[in-house]
Amino acid sequence: MKAVGKRKACSGLVISLIVACVAMANIAGAANSDETQRCLGCHSKQGIVIKFQNGKSETAIINAAQFRLSAHGSISCSSCHTDFSTENHPTRVFKNSKLYRIRLSRSCRHCHNDNQLQSRPVHIALLEKERAGTPLTCTDCHSPHTMTPAIGGKLLKSESDYCMKCHTRSQNIMFRDGEVVSLAVDEAGLSASVHKELSCSDCHFGFSSNEHPERTFRTMRDFIIASSQTCRRCHFDKYSETLESIHFAQLNQGNLKAPVCIDCHGSHSIQKGRTEKLLSAKRCEKCHQVIFSAYAASVHGKALTDENNQDVPICVDCHKAHAVRNPLTTEYRENIPEMCGNCHANKEIIGKYGLSTEVLKTYLSDFHGITLNFYKRRAGKMMKPDRPIAVCSDCHGTHDIRATSSSDTAIIKTNLVRQCRKCHPEASKDFPDTWLSHYEPSLHKAPLIYIIKLACKVFLIFMAIGISLQILLHLWRYASNR
Amino acid sequence: MDAATGTALYIKRFSWYRIIEHWAVAVIFVSLAATGFAQKYYDLALSQWIVLHLGGIDAVRIVHRTAGLFLILALAQHLLAAISGVLFSKWDTSVIITKCDFTDAITNLKYYLGMIEKPARCGRYDYRQKFEYWGILTGSILMGVTGLALWFPTLVIHILPGELIPIAKILHSNEAFVLIMLVTVWHIYNSIFSPEVFPVDTVMFTGKISRERMISEHPVEYEQRFGAVLSQNDDKQASISRFQVHLTDGE
Repeated sequence: MKAVGKRKACSGLVISLIVACVAMANIAGAANSDETQRCLGCHSKQGIVIKFQNGKSETAIINAAQFRLSAHGSISCSSCHTDFSTENHPTRVFKNSKLYRIRLSRSCRHCHNDNQLQSRPVHIALLEKERAGTPLTCTDCHSPHTMTPAIGGKLLKSESDYCMKCHTRSQNIMFRDGEVVSLAVDEAGLSASVHKELSCSDCHFGFSSNEHPERTFRTMRDFIIASSQTCRRCHFDKYSETLESIHFAQLNQGNLKAPVCIDCHGSHSIQKGRTEKLLSAKRCEKCHQVIFSAYAASVHGKALTDENNQDVPICVDCHKAHAVRNPLTTEYRENIPEMCGNCHANKEIIGKYGLSTEVLKTYLSDFHGITLNFYKRRAGKMMKPDRPIAVCSDCHGTHDIRATSSSDTAIIKTNLVRQCRKCHPEASKDFPDTWLSHYEPSLHKAPLIYIIKLACKVFLIFMAIGISLQILLHLWRYASNR
Repeated sequence: MDAATGTALYIKRFSWYRIIEHWAVAVIFVSLAATGFAQKYYDLALSQWIVLHLGGIDAVRIVHRTAGLFLILALAQHLLAAISGVLFSKWDTSVIITKCDFTDAITNLKYYLGMIEKPARCGRYDYRQKFEYWGILTGSILMGVTGLALWFPTLVIHILPGELIPIAKILHSNEAFVLIMLVTVWHIYNSIFSPEVFPVDTVMFTGKISRERMISEHPVEYEQRFGAVLSQNDDKQASISRFQVHLTDGE
């Protein structure tokens, strides 16, 4: 990374380090206690080792100077090595180094309780593992005798303070392709974001107050794609959903324009995903302008843009936010009635608009719905359908859905027959009459059909009773004759 | 022993033509019922099983429609044979429903309820058999017509109003119900589970009926065919002896 503002950055860093060192020197100013001096008397000499049962040994040497500067420099040895004192040096036998570290890590937890550990996402998983039986070994990552105050000491209260020393100023980097991009972080956005409690290094893995590795990306796009990898460390559920998405497939095939986390969610000023429907829909518009304008003109889109109606479906309601599947597949198509039914069969949502909630039920019980039902369960090996069966979107449209409520039945019928002819080209203009318009037959809707249905039912019941009576009487007579 | 003189133990009732026709229609009926049931009660596990094992809903519809065509064929040949038989070969027309069948039904009802001593005296076909025959015949015609309408809705709507399609759908599934009930409950009872024929009525296998059964169940036909006059006691005697024969057979 060729940093244009490298000198500025360096000077900022140097200043910060000096400040940090002064802070540490303050702590180190307190002289070591007698006990510590006694211990270091031996433990700072070369050649002192701890031997394990497995024959291996490890050095037990403590660098006195480093220890004084370390975060733990002011506390006595026996605070952690609880069984030891100036008088007492018990012999401990451990099978191997691992078990020794596990044992010692218990001491850490006296001061660093679970609540404190949980404030760092990296610890949450480890704590969970510990609950599951894998012991937590602090010293695998943290060297207890040499660790400096992790969060920058007293002056810099948090790591963010430390990073922001430089990253609020307009620093630029130049990518290998020559593009120059500012590295300044929008502090106001960050403190209002959902991640305001996190430290910089929670996402910028590998960076800390000590480390600032140089990264060389060819383009800004490469950088964004690589940076999006960091999100999965916490949002693994969402990340694994994206693995099934058409976006990920596109990216995999080399289409670098395919969106990654940052493209939709932003980076430092990340807001909750589903707070504002219009904002969410607009994210998709960035790439799918044509579809968005069709949607914006639809009955759903208009209600969203004009009335800010929060009941209407937005892109992610049908396409999903992370597991965005290819909508042209059979599987997707076969799921459409359920998708529309999520709202249109739900009285709570759709009732207030005076629309029928019978649409899904009537669809599923008519020829198209039954066929779809069986196609869905064909379990792979079954015969592939000759042609796809009609689902909601085939008659109503997809992004450009219009309201069907019109007082002019003739217009509805002419429009409808156009949809019918897509699959039934020989359909006459009266063909829509064969369909009950998503209504269950009743005295108000399709009274003739309702009456015939009722008459059939009565006839059937009548006959069932007649036949059973005849059989029972016959049996009874036979029994009493014997 | 000679059938003509009325002394044979078994008397011919159905020709091989009728037996083959019966079993052909039975096979068609079962395949229609199974594939139709699977479409109507699409959510049942049994329907799913049927559809899965027949190779998907499209295959089920092909089977259903082909079987339907065969039923229409069977119907057509039956009606053609019946009409030409009656017109040119002087076939027996006793299957036609007469006033007598209604009085027989009432008589039998009284007999079942113990109000009179003797059951109705029936001809070649008793009122129950006629009821079943005409039920299945007219039902099959209705099924054929509505089935074709549902198969080719766009063609039908060129000439007839669109509402006919949902009506045809209701009639088709309702009539299917009626037919399945007639066959699985009524017909199976009368030819398998009725104590008078249990474990199975063999007439539709051999084409022959025993003399005792003919005398007790079709006394009028017996009298007409053999010129004999049966007293009421003969009926009763025959029916008692048949039970005894049946019981000893069983043991």
